[in-house]
Amino acid sequence: MFSVHKYTILQFDKIGFSYEKDKEFIRELSFTVSDREFIGLLGANGSGKSTILKLASGILNPSIGSIRLWGRPLQSFRHKDRAKLLSYLPQILDMNVPFRVRELVAMGLYPYDIIPKITLSEALEMVGLEGKSDLHIKNLSGGERRRAFIAITLLQGAGLLLLDEPLANLDIKYQVEVIKLLRELREKKNISIIMALHDINMALQFEKVMLIKEGKILGMGNPEIVLSRDLLKEAFDVAIEARGFQTAYEIGNTGLLGE
Amino acid sequence: MSKIRILMLIMTLVFIVLASLFLSPKLINPFQMDNVERNILFTIRFPRVIVAFSMGMALGVSGAVLQGILRNPLADPYILGISSGASLSAVAGILSGIYFFGKFTIPLAAFIGASFVSILVGFFGWKRGGLWPERLLLAGVGLSFLFHAILMLLMNISTDEHLGRIMFWIFGDLSAADWSLIPYASVFIISGISISLSRAKALNALILGDELAHSLGFSVHRERLLLFVSISLMTAASVSLGGIIGFIGLLVPHVMRFLIGADNRFLVPASALGGGTLLCMADLIGKSILSPMEIPSGIVAAIIGSPYFLYLLGRRDVLSA
Repeated sequence: MFSVHKYTILQFDKIGFSYEKDKEFIRELSFTVSDREFIGLLGANGSGKSTILKLASGILNPSIGSIRLWGRPLQSFRHKDRAKLLSYLPQILDMNVPFRVRELVAMGLYPYDIIPKITLSEALEMVGLEGKSDLHIKNLSGGERRRAFIAITLLQGAGLLLLDEPLANLDIKYQVEVIKLLRELREKKNISIIMALHDINMALQFEKVMLIKEGKILGMGNPEIVLSRDLLKEAFDVAIEARGFQTAYEIGNTGLLGE
Repeated sequence: MSKIRILMLIMTLVFIVLASLFLSPKLINPFQMDNVERNILFTIRFPRVIVAFSMGMALGVSGAVLQGILRNPLADPYILGISSGASLSAVAGILSGIYFFGKFTIPLAAFIGASFVSILVGFFGWKRGGLWPERLLLAGVGLSFLFHAILMLLMNISTDEHLGRIMFWIFGDLSAADWSLIPYASVFIISGISISLSRAKALNALILGDELAHSLGFSVHRERLLLFVSISLMTAASVSLGGIIGFIGLLVPHVMRFLIGADNRFLVPASALGGGTLLCMADLIGKSILSPMEIPSGIVAAIIGSPYFLYLLGRRDVLSA
């Protein structure tokens, strides 16, 4: 890789957050995300993955500390301006929305008044729904619905994608394809991605993972180092081992997930 | 397809308006009018068509917007208790027999009642810096029951003469329509429709859920508050114009979704057009069919609207609700 200088896109600096009074859920959380980084956010249920993404997207406000987007406090952005820089896909989506595929996906353009970076048909093609743009969302399968929602985020064209378990309910084929798609996107559009996930083997596909427990970072960096038996045991409270190395390299060698 | 449907709707509207003005219940030839006929046309029929159309628009748009912000296909402007509050206040006005503001008294009472209930629903729906759909809905249902019970109590103890007036008002009565209220009501209705139209994208995004709407660049609580205020204004104005007319707010948006889809940038104006057209039609039929007796428009709207809705329902396998 040639890029010498890395920009800091997102910065958490000693962030604190609590859902209930006097009960801090996240304490002194600090990390940074640079451009073109593709980070897997891994942790048990209730470890704080979704909370971290909601803080990063500005849906939740930290009780202590400030989150910076491109060096500027996140809360100081106008909603519309922020939406051009950052997009967030929640884990729980209302799959019963009344819209057709193209109507739904086109909402990705709402922050913009000008011509988009990618077109609606490109976004639909990226998620493999190009032939289904006139169908109702309700007529799609679960996986297709999720991909339609991912397409909104793609069309929104922000430089930082915060995706909360986008692979949930997807067949392994589409899990692999979504990851592949996001990697391509990162190469072409220089975007950064944080993706929450709970599949440890899938986490091995990332260059960087962030393993969290109770709102604290247990480890961040190369998955082969971070996902050690000891740290995994601490994170998930059960003796497990990441065994996806073999598979990961196999898929990698076929060029599916390769760099 | 949807363009043709809208065009057909507009043609229907034009036909109905012309029929209401010149045909029914007694023929008026626009090229040969005597003074009495001119008087009937300009002081009775014109304002009545305008009142019917603006009420229909207001209810259609309020229904479409409310179903969106509450994410509930069964929502209508009356589910928030606005109608029962307005009825209670209007009925109290009728029963008291005191007309401080002349013929403005009952409409004013209805408007104040509707606005008061909106504020109350908003108060209960408000938590942690914003309005929440489930809270709004439950507050509305709760208040509805309360006001309804008091209304029943009042009707129970009122005289037959009063009861007749009350029933007519509750079923939606356009027979008293004249120019006097139109300027005031149209201010509220036009501003409500304008707000709704200008926030149509935000409304689409809110249907996807608060978090996605936030991600798409909308201030969720601000948008919801704006839309809630616009519905309240429109509904209160409409109730004060001609009483309670059901059906339109609940089912016209669904009919329009069947015909043109759920995108609110088109659904909101289409619901205005559809609601206005249906109420004009209901009024025309209500005043003609048993002439000189009049059937309240609210009843006619439901009788002609519901079968059409059920027909459309039967033909669709996917509900775009």
